[in-house]
Amino acid sequence: MKLVGLFSVLAVLMVIPAVDLAFAAGDEPGEYLDRRVVIWNLFYRLMTVAFTVGAVVSGTMIWQCWRFRESHPQAKPTPYEGTDW
Amino acid sequence: MVLELQKPRPIWQIMFSTHHTDVGLLYLITSLAFLFLGGSLALAIRAELFLPGAQIIGDAMTYNRIFTVHGTTLIFLFILPFASSVGNYFVPIMVRYKDMAYPKLNAIAFWMIPPAGALIWLGFADFTWYATPPYSIISAPGPAADMWIFGLKILGISSVLGAINFVVTILKCKHPDMSIGQVPLLAWSFLSSSLIILVAIPTFAAALLMLLTDRLGVSGFFNPAMGGDPIAYAHLFWFTFHPEVYVLVIPAIGMMYEIIPRFSRKPIYSYNSGVFAFVLLSIVGFSSWAHHMYATGMSFTEKTVFMVGTLAAVPASAMHVFNFIATMWNGRIKFSTPMMWAVGGIALFFSAGAGGVANAAMPLDFTTHDTYWVVGHFHLFVMGTIAFGSIGYLYYMFPYVTGRMYNETMGKVHFIMSFVGTVLVFFTQHVLGLYGMPRRVFDYPPIPEWIAMNQISTVGAMIIGVSMAIFLANMIYSSGKGKLANTEDPFGLGGKYYYPFEAKNPSH
Repeated sequence: MKLVGLFSVLAVLMVIPAVDLAFAAGDEPGEYLDRRVVIWNLFYRLMTVAFTVGAVVSGTMIWQCWRFRESHPQAKPTPYEGTDW
Repeated sequence: MVLELQKPRPIWQIMFSTHHTDVGLLYLITSLAFLFLGGSLALAIRAELFLPGAQIIGDAMTYNRIFTVHGTTLIFLFILPFASSVGNYFVPIMVRYKDMAYPKLNAIAFWMIPPAGALIWLGFADFTWYATPPYSIISAPGPAADMWIFGLKILGISSVLGAINFVVTILKCKHPDMSIGQVPLLAWSFLSSSLIILVAIPTFAAALLMLLTDRLGVSGFFNPAMGGDPIAYAHLFWFTFHPEVYVLVIPAIGMMYEIIPRFSRKPIYSYNSGVFAFVLLSIVGFSSWAHHMYATGMSFTEKTVFMVGTLAAVPASAMHVFNFIATMWNGRIKFSTPMMWAVGGIALFFSAGAGGVANAAMPLDFTTHDTYWVVGHFHLFVMGTIAFGSIGYLYYMFPYVTGRMYNETMGKVHFIMSFVGTVLVFFTQHVLGLYGMPRRVFDYPPIPEWIAMNQISTVGAMIIGVSMAIFLANMIYSSGKGKLANTEDPFGLGGKYYYPFEAKNPSH
């Protein structure tokens, strides 16, 4: 008899969480995710960042190659020329 | 100066020499020979993919053999030996020592490369440079696969011997007056990459043995039919070969650190950040290997760890880029051929890194995995960064090696064509990957976008091929009949400049 009582208690303890979960599932419908949309969304956001940073860095490099080339009219010797640095 | 060609010697004197510049010359010639061999295979691959269907290569098996040997050759027989060539020439002189620490070991390390190259080329294996199991252990054909395994084994031993030599030369043989903080960044790059080799290579050495015993049927480490797991091989392989990416790229960046200050006529902006970035790359290189394996069913936590580990390389790489930009700032830049290659290499390094960041994000990796995006991404590194840095440095060291000047116009034409070709081939391949074209395919369906992009890519490859022919002609002609170089200031930079390799080490 004690054994039946123990199993009953254990059974109730096991069932209750399941019932709760069932109610929870009923209250909050699952979210539908389209993985392709999520991935491409992330891709476009990352590409936006990459192209922005890329444009700044590449632009800086192109500009400094043009500005600091030795044939530029405003080019002047660096402080290190003619020294042992 | 070395001036090898101004003092002709019998070839055997160079071949059996243990002097560091002689060994460097042997490395140089060998690596360039394999550059042209591996490059010609690349042209065959691109010609095949110009249109759907079989074009010039008869069957898929032959195509697989060609791209396997192409990748193996250019990574192990061009890039690594070229870096060893530069290291052999200049590291002892930079640390002011008479030779490498172990000259005989140095010569032995070189002489392992020709037999290894012969094994790879005579076998012509077909299982990709990754030696893809379980195919490689169950059904990859006969002696070819075994020859590849032995070839790689020999190359691994050669790399380890070379790495030990560089580490000991730099740390133990540098001049007593020279602190480690005064060692030039090129030597630092060799120290960093050698330490990576020492940690990384033994893992692949073990994997190769396991692969061989699996092929012999005495074990089943990677054979699912015998309870093994091919994914275990992937871990062992990438534990070695993701850090190996840094072994390849770090010396090329070190070469740029030599070129850019010289031609900007300024010292490097921040020596310490260069050293720090090398060391950081050496460490974080080991925290990212499994980003090659997101699609193998790893847990979310594992993928997150490796994604963060991969992204940790970004600050270190960015430090190099910004160091170069800051060095050039306010300089008086002379755009001779080496400088053009170095600047082009930085631009492409940045582009490759940006693509890598997108690729490291695990959701995107699933989209791009095993597509042409990956081919475009890693080729932008190996060709756009490593080969550009290396070729730039080859032009830079040319007068010191030969005593003559290369043809400057041909050098610039070589650069412009290679840069345009590289952009056409590898930027296009990124887009091709986003359109879904898988990598490692002999044929593809006649989708108009795929055909167009493959054709652009092939045209780019042909442009690079022509530029390399110009390069070869320039090197051969100029080394024999080029104008004698003013070895004090071969590039006309003026003033008194610090050339770390002004010293001569006597033959012994």
